Amino acid sequence: MKTFEDIQSRWANMPEPKIPKNGVHLIMEKIGTLKRKQRIASTVLTLTAIILLFFFFYITAYRSTPTMLGLFMMIGALLARIALEVISTKSLGRLDVKHDALKFKRGLVAHFSRRRWIHFLITPVAFITYVVGFVILLPGFKESLSAGFYTYVVVSSIVILAFLAGFISFHIYKEHLILKSFKVRES
Amino acid sequence: MNSLFENVYQENYKKVVRLCLGYVNGDEALAEDLAQEVFLKVWQHLPSFRNESKISTWIYRITVNTCLLELRKQKFNKSTEEVERVPIESDEEITDTGFQMKQMYHCIHRLSKENQSIILLVLEGVPQREIAEITGISHEAIRVRVHRIKTSLTKCVQNENV
Repeated sequence: MKTFEDIQSRWANMPEPKIPKNGVHLIMEKIGTLKRKQRIASTVLTLTAIILLFFFFYITAYRSTPTMLGLFMMIGALLARIALEVISTKSLGRLDVKHDALKFKRGLVAHFSRRRWIHFLITPVAFITYVVGFVILLPGFKESLSAGFYTYVVVSSIVILAFLAGFISFHIYKEHLILKSFKVRES
Repeated sequence: MNSLFENVYQENYKKVVRLCLGYVNGDEALAEDLAQEVFLKVWQHLPSFRNESKISTWIYRITVNTCLLELRKQKFNKSTEEVERVPIESDEEITDTGFQMKQMYHCIHRLSKENQSIILLVLEGVPQREIAEITGISHEAIRVRVHRIKTSLTKCVQNENV
């Protein structure tokens, strides 16, 4: 291929893609699956919130103020972060694919720029709040649990939190790369 | 609605897959996955289509935007990020259609996403005025850009031939 016309002719002569016989049926099936998944996700999130709130009120009725505060911080941080993620996912879904590409891309960049606030401010604050809440609960655990089980709770929590921190950082880095790719100066 | 969608699907499926192939480096399976996402959105938005533009222009808009949105996902990125440099073999292979297609996809992939959209639409024979409508870039700027991209794509393909 030496000229653009060669490229164009090669493109024009590429093998024609085959239209799947059941293509429309598959799309309808996928729409059904997506709707079911959305319903399941909403139900699971609502149930989680209800169970956590019920657990919170049940425990705080019998426990001291530090326990109440610790639980409130842990559950509150978790619920706030989940709620933000749901709102953010819905806002991405609301981006209008019918817009011209330039307008759509601006919407995408704005979305991922807004998510930087979540990643660099709200997520660390939620994470620290969660950890502080857990630390507040530790004296209560020490009193009521055996020494061995208490050590297990502390060590396993440190491992889980470290893994979680790594996991969150990795995802933040990935989204940073996405934003960077959108912002790359067009040549 | 179902029969209208069926018609839209039958008439535009090939165009959509061809365009998607350009974004995923010629990977047919990924292009078909992307096309399915595109038609899912077409189905969702078809009731709001007002005939203000040609249906093909409207579908191209959805295709370009859906590809941009979906390409950030890992499964699509794998094929586009890990682009192997096409090995240069014998003269026999250079004339091979499949090899030339690979070269072409490789060179298209080296362009920015916006320029990829423009040149893929040019290759599909979409008029520049419609490309301007799809991309949101002025007709005048598209004219200049198309010239630049054609030159850069041709140079890339020639270098790959060396």
